[in-house]
Amino acid sequence: MAKTIKKLLLLGGGPTNIGHENELDAAAYERLQAIKKTGAQVIYIDNNPFSFASESVQAADVYVQEVTFQNVVNIIEKEHPDAIMPKIGGLNAMQVAWQLEESDVLADNNIDMLGIRPVDLKRVLDNQRLRELLNEINEPIIASKIVPNDDEAMDFVRDVGFPVIVKPFSASHDTSRFICNNTDELEDALEISFERTYIKHVSIEQSIVGYKEIEMVGVRDENGNKILVSGLEDMDPIGIHSGDSIIFAPTQTLINQEYQALRTATFQIMDAINITGTCHVQFAQSRTDSNYYVTKVSPFFTRNALLAAKATGYPLSYVSTLLEMGVSLTEVKLPQKYSKYLPFMEPTMDHVVVRLPLWPFRDIPDVDQHLNTLMKSVGSTIGVGRTVEEAIMKAMHSSQFSPRDILPSVSKVDDDAVINQLIHPLASRVLILMEALRRGFSIDELSELTKIDRFYFYKMNQLLRAQDYVINNPLSPTAVEAAHEYGFGDGMLAELWNVNISTIERMNQNSNVKVTFKEIEPSAGEFREATNVFYSSYELENESVPCKGKTALIIGRGGNQLGPNAAADYYTAQILETTRRAGYKTIIMNTNPNAISLAPALSDKQYIEPIQLGNILNIVNLEQPDIIFLPGNRHYLSKKLKEFADLNIVVLPPDQKIAKFQQGTATTAVDLFIDGDRILPITTISFHTKSRRTELRYINDYQQPMNRWQTDERPLIKMAISKIDTANWQGLVQVLFDHDGSGNYTFTGIRPIRITESAFLNKTTGVNWIDALVKKYLHVLDIDQLSSFYQPGIHQRYSIMEAVFPFKELQSNRTDGASTQEVGAALSFKKIENPIES
Amino acid sequence: MTQRYLILEDGSAYPGKAFGSLATTTGELVANSTMNGYQEIISNQIYHNQIIVFTQTSIGNTGLAQNAYESVLPTAKGVIVREYENLATDHFKRISLDRYLKQHRIPGIYDVDTRQIRRHLQEKGNMKASIVDVADEHAFDQLHATVLTNQQVAQVATPKPYPNPDEGANVIVVDFGLKSGILRELSKRDCNVTVVPWDSTSETILDLDPDGVVLSTGPGAPWNLPESVLSMIQKVQTQVPLFGIGLGHELFALANGAKITELRVEHHGSNHPIREIITNEIFFSGQEQGYAVDSKSINHAKLFITHVDLVNGTVQGLRHRDFPAFSVQFSPDGAPGPKDSVGLFDDFSEFMARRRDSNGENY
Repeated sequence: MAKTIKKLLLLGGGPTNIGHENELDAAAYERLQAIKKTGAQVIYIDNNPFSFASESVQAADVYVQEVTFQNVVNIIEKEHPDAIMPKIGGLNAMQVAWQLEESDVLADNNIDMLGIRPVDLKRVLDNQRLRELLNEINEPIIASKIVPNDDEAMDFVRDVGFPVIVKPFSASHDTSRFICNNTDELEDALEISFERTYIKHVSIEQSIVGYKEIEMVGVRDENGNKILVSGLEDMDPIGIHSGDSIIFAPTQTLINQEYQALRTATFQIMDAINITGTCHVQFAQSRTDSNYYVTKVSPFFTRNALLAAKATGYPLSYVSTLLEMGVSLTEVKLPQKYSKYLPFMEPTMDHVVVRLPLWPFRDIPDVDQHLNTLMKSVGSTIGVGRTVEEAIMKAMHSSQFSPRDILPSVSKVDDDAVINQLIHPLASRVLILMEALRRGFSIDELSELTKIDRFYFYKMNQLLRAQDYVINNPLSPTAVEAAHEYGFGDGMLAELWNVNISTIERMNQNSNVKVTFKEIEPSAGEFREATNVFYSSYELENESVPCKGKTALIIGRGGNQLGPNAAADYYTAQILETTRRAGYKTIIMNTNPNAISLAPALSDKQYIEPIQLGNILNIVNLEQPDIIFLPGNRHYLSKKLKEFADLNIVVLPPDQKIAKFQQGTATTAVDLFIDGDRILPITTISFHTKSRRTELRYINDYQQPMNRWQTDERPLIKMAISKIDTANWQGLVQVLFDHDGSGNYTFTGIRPIRITESAFLNKTTGVNWIDALVKKYLHVLDIDQLSSFYQPGIHQRYSIMEAVFPFKELQSNRTDGASTQEVGAALSFKKIENPIES
Repeated sequence: MTQRYLILEDGSAYPGKAFGSLATTTGELVANSTMNGYQEIISNQIYHNQIIVFTQTSIGNTGLAQNAYESVLPTAKGVIVREYENLATDHFKRISLDRYLKQHRIPGIYDVDTRQIRRHLQEKGNMKASIVDVADEHAFDQLHATVLTNQQVAQVATPKPYPNPDEGANVIVVDFGLKSGILRELSKRDCNVTVVPWDSTSETILDLDPDGVVLSTGPGAPWNLPESVLSMIQKVQTQVPLFGIGLGHELFALANGAKITELRVEHHGSNHPIREIITNEIFFSGQEQGYAVDSKSINHAKLFITHVDLVNGTVQGLRHRDFPAFSVQFSPDGAPGPKDSVGLFDDFSEFMARRRDSNGENY
């Protein structure tokens, strides 16, 4: 049974970046719901300004600090927790946890590490020890050796065979790797590598490039009971980072024997490291025989562990939390909507989930755009369907491809370039694969060139055929049915046939096959679960019963790209919470598997559907929402939706197009909340950029309150208010100024407060302004309650939010970027030494 | 694409597209929720007289592997699935699902709302169904009039004994509709196997000087088999280690005085946790059952329960108090399904080794 834990220290995931989006925050949110049930107090450390989870912790128990060894030590000394939970904070938190153990901080303070014992953690984090461990339990790993000379290298190759990968072994940052297929290539590679190493050693390993990449996610309790949550199959072979690969759940091309061998291996590894809670293991599976290798063991929450949970409907974070706290699998109690068997039944799927990565190359074009072993994607979308084709298509039209082209053609690329890209893939990978099929490459050829299983080419071929049929049969009922069967949306049909979407809707009404919604639940129809997560398919039985009472539909942002996406997701989550508190049943629609706004506890119903007009209208027709929130600037969508006069649509924040600028620069801002003719000052802000530019699009660091607040704040607020005409400006409004450095401020513009800064205000002022804004639109705002909030001229600290850019991860030399290049942000506070009142 | 129908005893009909054979067939409708191993499932003789609804959305993706058949001549009555892929040759020179089903006269229907059928079955309970060209009154009359045979074991089990030689323990496998997974596991343990017909007597079996006897899986209700099978078990269990699986487990229970009940909804899948009572551990295994041992009917002087299904509470394993005889409802061979409990074959080997070491005395 669970040990009694009174005070828990939870390590957060930090700012979003390449490699992790909001999924850790979403998992933390679910985790906190589980911990609350146990009665334990949570101390939470995280410096992500877009963390939603941290807001469900008592404000006094949240430390807005970077998760570093020293910060955590300081908190431990102050708070004296009984236990520490590192598994939700990614690899960084695991490494900090390990340092705490190494330096005896845990032992000295009598703190338990939950999820994995320190001794086992070391064995997983240290690559050499992990190899020893896997050897001990007879799990195959790729052969690898550090050799001092050519002879030993040759001996090694005689044992393992070609191909091999050769790298200089040195402390320098040389990341060159050579794939050698024969003795000549090996000799060349050794010669270059020995020249480049300072310590005269070269690393040589067996190459598994071209193997299938398979991932397994399981959970285990203290007694050794285990279940496999899901297997995932990367469409792209080893050699392309799994974060940049198209991923399928469940696995599609493994036979039972192969699948079971990997499942058994996963369990053996979980037993060997004595893990409790979740574990994610990656494998390389041979294409020509049943051999496999273990390539990675992650004893913590990863992006794909959470994808497995999303795909199956299994409440992974909730269950894992309780398992880490010592509850056994068969004793886990879930929130009431789930059947009591769910925690210990192995999920089984009757749908297909496809994850399609999104890359940042449109915003950061001047980097190497090839997909390889370094992850480059910044987000992803998932498509859920009852067939593989439907799922692929839904993932694609959730992604960055234009909704006009059914399957965008890349006809400008010549044949040589196509072949080159088949072998050295770029972000447009999936389009090139389809283009190659269009140009008559055979499936065998393509599979040979790309090392992608033939199965996927068959499926893409089906999609191309369906597309031809749809194009050649405009406005025919059978073409509509075929389109629906393969996951083409109504909005696409309307664009393609150049008709209004209501024409397609009328055709749908006369069709025999209507849109239905199916639940994503882990028993494949055996139990009537109420996960309340749905996706569409054109079948016979609809399972989604419209919500009763007042309902609000919130249209999520879809997959993250660069720009304010992480913040927008936080913003969306806030809208959900406020709307629900105001008595609405809340319905979220989104395709981003990592979104906090898709956390199960946050809304009454979730639709994982492409954010496209046709899909939105299908949901609107069923649910008949009283109000629809559209967070973020989505001009096309809001324009199209507003053509439907009977829909009550609220775009938040209001479209930036209403902004009025004198000039496109600013150094200082005054944030206001305006309701009717009441104008409340929220705060003042100083803008910074690393390159000292003042153009608005480069501004990405914020400080609250402004510089020189002691003297300048009051007059500036007065000036700002004087610029406002309340007939034009309502809600969260920002007045911009340029400061000349000596106390003179020039008014430069007015704009709605943007999403990122709205989140910043929430974190720094202690008042939930997004909540207030939503309440205003729901007509339930009590403005008097807010009115006494701000007192200029009394400040104890500066709050600072600095943008995080993915330049290093993309191997770019840039240091400063535009706000459209942000991938996340970090929050910090600085004490003001002498807070003198002006 | 030929349109065909799956029609159910309760009057419901589901249109879909034909693949495999175009035969018209009738059988019991069962849903299987295992996510892998369509080949093992279709070729398992346990599906004699049954139409299988796959809840996994897509089958045929990998072709059929020569080493993954569970029988040579499959006898399922039909395959219902959301989507099928007719992928054939690859490195492994596998044949396609469509061709295989045609060869064995098994009809298939795809593009069906299998999730709806599964939910419907779960609500209404087991029922008969037909795969037909036209879902008219005549077809429903035919369906209602069809009486499915109760001679299933006789139809699928081997009529003659055959060997599977090796150097290890002498194992007699009594074939009630044997799945190959059992033979594979015995081969891995070097067992010198002789497969004998289901109606072999205890004399025939014991005269082969076995170190142990396996009662195999098979189709249908255990009460369709004659008393003589139970007498065989009653005699054999006193002489050599005995291991019953699936139908073999149900027969072992009957032979020791327990009763069998029919499940309202057959359970086919590998998602239920099975608890081993002695260790309190849970594990997963392929389960394909329409019947279960009635736990209240167990004579505790003879048998004790070793395993139980934590979801539906059914008895999943039994052990004899006096003899090294035990049985499990599920399929520990993992074809298809998890191999968490494959160690049961080692337990069986252990029993046989102990018997041999003690020359058959007090082992």
